[in-house]
Amino acid sequence: MTSTVTPRGPGVPAPPGQPVPPEEPRGQRSGLAWLLELPGNAVRGIARSAATSPGRLSLIATGLIVLALLTGVIGTVSVQNRANTIDDLIDHREPLAASAQEVYRSLSDADATAASAFLSTGAEPPELRERYELDIATAGAALARAASDSGGVAEAARQVEILSQQLPVYTGLIETARANNRQGFPAGAAYLREASELMRAKILPAAQELYEIDTDRLVEEQDDATGVPWLTALLVLGLLGALIATQIYLKRKTNRVFNVGLVVATIAVGIAILWSAAALTVQSVLVSSGSSDGTEQSDLLVRARIAALQARADETLTLVARGGGESYQEEYAQLMGQLVGEDGNGGLLGEAADRSAGLPSAGHVDSAVTHATAWREAHGQLRELDGSGNYDGAVQMAIDGSQDRTAAAAFNRLDRELAAAIESGRQSFLDDTTNASRALVLLAPGFAVLAVIAALGTTLGIRERLREYR
Amino acid sequence: MTPTKRLGAALSAFALLIAGCGSPGAPVDPAPVGSVERPQPANAAVENDVEGGGSIDTSCDPTASLSPNGSIQSGSTMDEIQKRGYLSVGVDQNTFLFGFRNPTTGALEGFDIDIAREVAREIFGDPNAVQFRAITSAQRIPALQNGDVDIVVRTFSITCERLEDIAFSTVYYVAGQKVLVDKHSTVKGIQDLGGKRVCAAKESTSLKNIAAADPKPVPVSVDDWSDCLVMLQQGQVEAVSTDDTILAGMAEQDPTVKIVGERFTDELYGIGVPKENEDMVRFVNAVLERVRGGAWQQSYNRWLLDRLGPASPPAPNYQ
Repeated sequence: MTSTVTPRGPGVPAPPGQPVPPEEPRGQRSGLAWLLELPGNAVRGIARSAATSPGRLSLIATGLIVLALLTGVIGTVSVQNRANTIDDLIDHREPLAASAQEVYRSLSDADATAASAFLSTGAEPPELRERYELDIATAGAALARAASDSGGVAEAARQVEILSQQLPVYTGLIETARANNRQGFPAGAAYLREASELMRAKILPAAQELYEIDTDRLVEEQDDATGVPWLTALLVLGLLGALIATQIYLKRKTNRVFNVGLVVATIAVGIAILWSAAALTVQSVLVSSGSSDGTEQSDLLVRARIAALQARADETLTLVARGGGESYQEEYAQLMGQLVGEDGNGGLLGEAADRSAGLPSAGHVDSAVTHATAWREAHGQLRELDGSGNYDGAVQMAIDGSQDRTAAAAFNRLDRELAAAIESGRQSFLDDTTNASRALVLLAPGFAVLAVIAALGTTLGIRERLREYR
Repeated sequence: MTPTKRLGAALSAFALLIAGCGSPGAPVDPAPVGSVERPQPANAAVENDVEGGGSIDTSCDPTASLSPNGSIQSGSTMDEIQKRGYLSVGVDQNTFLFGFRNPTTGALEGFDIDIAREVAREIFGDPNAVQFRAITSAQRIPALQNGDVDIVVRTFSITCERLEDIAFSTVYYVAGQKVLVDKHSTVKGIQDLGGKRVCAAKESTSLKNIAAADPKPVPVSVDDWSDCLVMLQQGQVEAVSTDDTILAGMAEQDPTVKIVGERFTDELYGIGVPKENEDMVRFVNAVLERVRGGAWQQSYNRWLLDRLGPASPPAPNYQ
C-alpha cells in the first residue's frame, strides 16, 4: 500500500478536464485518499513529462506499445473466436440442425408406415415392421443428439421435452393397436387413429419447431462468422496510422528519414492487415457459399421432404378413413401444391431446382421433380380407383412398393432423391465451411506474433532516439 | 486503520448471522413434471350443451315407413344406380359385430354390412357390387343429403327429428341403450353415473339420451364408437353408454368390461335414404321383406346370437 505512481506508468488514464486537486501535505494519508488522488498525480506526471522532448518521446513509445499489444490481444482473440465459431458450425450447429430434421423425418415416416401396415391385410409385412422400427430407433437417437444442446435455448428445450415425453406414449399406442389388430378387433384401428392424432397434433409440430429453431441458430452463427470484425479493424488501422505519424514526427524532429525499429513495426502491422484481410475475406466468402449452396439449399429440400412425407401420410390415412377422409385428401392436394406447385414446376422443388443449377445436388433435385409429378399422377389413379368403388385396387396402389407404377413406389423414389439431394447440400456446406476454417489457420498466432514484433520494433526504435538525449 | 477493522469485524459477524439462519433449501428437481396430458382420440370433446330427446322423443310414429315395391322402373333411383354399376353405402368400419374392418382380410364385415349386401344383391344380383364408404355417426345425415351415398346402413336409429331431414326404411333391428363399465365398477346403470364422464359418438341418439339422464352425467363425444372403448380402456371415461348391440361388440374385444343395467331406450334401426328418393325407400322395404324371411336370421346367428341370445326380425309397419 506504499507504492507511488510512476510518472510514465500506464496507470489509470485521467479523464480530461478533471480539476487538479489541491496539494495536501503528504504523510499520514489513508489509502483511500491516495487512491482518489491517483488520477490527479498521473495527469500531473504526464504533463510534466510532455513538457520535454525525451518525455514526449517516452509517452509516444508507451502509447504505441500499449496500442500494439492491445491490438494484438483483441485481434488474436477475435480471430480465434471466429475460428472457433466456424469449427462449432461444423462440429455442432449443422449436425444439430440435421438431427432435428432427422427427428421430424423419421417420426413422420413412422406415422405413414404405421398407417400403411394397418392397410395391408393379414400378417403385418415384415418390411413395414422393420421400417417402422428403424424410424423409431432413428428418431430416438436423433432426439438424444438434439437434446444434448437444447439447454441454452428455453424454446428448444421445451420442444425436446414434448418430444421426449410423447414419443414413448406414441409407441405404446401403436403397440396396443398392433395387439388389438392381431386379434381382429377394430379397437386396433381406433388406437392407431389416436396415435396418429398424437403424432400430428403434438409430436410433429414440436419436431418442426425444433428444426426451425436449430436452423435459425445455424444461420445466426453463419452470419456471426461472416461479419467484419470492426473493433480489430479500427485498432489495427489506428496502430498503422499512429506508427506512420510517429515516423513523420521523428523525421521533423531529428531530420532522419528511417528509424529501423519503427519501419519493422510498420511492416509487421502492414502484413497483419493484409494477411487478416485476405484470410477473413476468403473465409467469409466460403462460409457464405456454404450457407447459400449448403444450408439454405438443404433447408429448402428439407421443407420439401417434410411436405412430401405429410402428403404421403395423408394419402394413406385417406384410405384408412375409407370414404371419411376428405380432410386428408384436401391436405394432400394443398401439400402437393406446396411441394411442386400447381403446374408441377413450381413450389419448393421448383425453387430448389432453380437454385441448384451448377450444384452437385442438381441431378437429384431434377429427378425429385420428375418423381413428384409421377407420384401425383399415381395418386390421381389411386383416387379414381377408390372413387369408382375399387377400394382394394386403391390400397394396392397406395402401399405396394414392389410394383413400378404405384404411388408407394413413386413416393419411395422421390424420398430417396430428396434424401440424396439433402445429403449433397450438407456436403457442400461441409466442404465450404472446412475450407473457410483452413483459411484462418495460423492467423491467430500469426497476428499475435506480428503485434509483438510491432511492439518490440517501437521499443527499440524509440529507445535509439532517446539515447541521443543522454 | 482501527475504524476499518471494526467495520470488517461487524461485517463478518453479519455474514455469519445470515449464513447461520438461512436454510440450504431443498435439492433441485432436475426435471419437474407436474401432470401428464393423456393422448385423446381426434375430436374427443366434453359436450355440455347437447339437447336431450334422441330416441325418447315420441312426437311421431317412427316405425311407419312407405309400403314396399321391389320393381325397378327406368328413370328410377335404382335404375341410375344400376347404370353406375355399384351401390354406394355409408357404413361403419369401427363397430365390432355391426360394421367393422376385419384386419386379417381387410374386408368390411358385420350385421349391417350383410344387410347392405342384400340390397345390392336385389339390384345387381351380386352382393359384392357395393362401394362402402366409412362414415362417422355425425356424417350420416349430411352424407345422404349431399348425395355422397345411396343409403346408410349404420346402427341408424329412426327418430322423429331425423325423419324431418331424411327418410327411413322399416325397422330391421330393435336395440336398446345400456351402459358399459369396468368389471370392478360398482355402477349398476345410467342412474349411477351423475357427474361422471360417459362416452358416446357425436350426433348419436345415445349422446342425447346420456345428456337427458337424471342425474346428468358429463357426456364425452368422439367420432367413432371404438374411440369410446379406447377411452374406457385408458381410464379417461367412467362408462360408455349406447345400444346393447354396440356394447356387445366392445365387451367382445375386452374381457375386463361388463354391460350393466336394463335397456332404458328402444333404438329402432332403419336404413337411411335421401328424403326425395321415395322409390328407393319402397325398394329397400321390399328387400327387407325378403331379408326377414331368412337372410336376417342367418346373419343374426353369425354375429349376434352368442352375445345377445336368440331373436327374430321385428315386424314391419307401413303408413
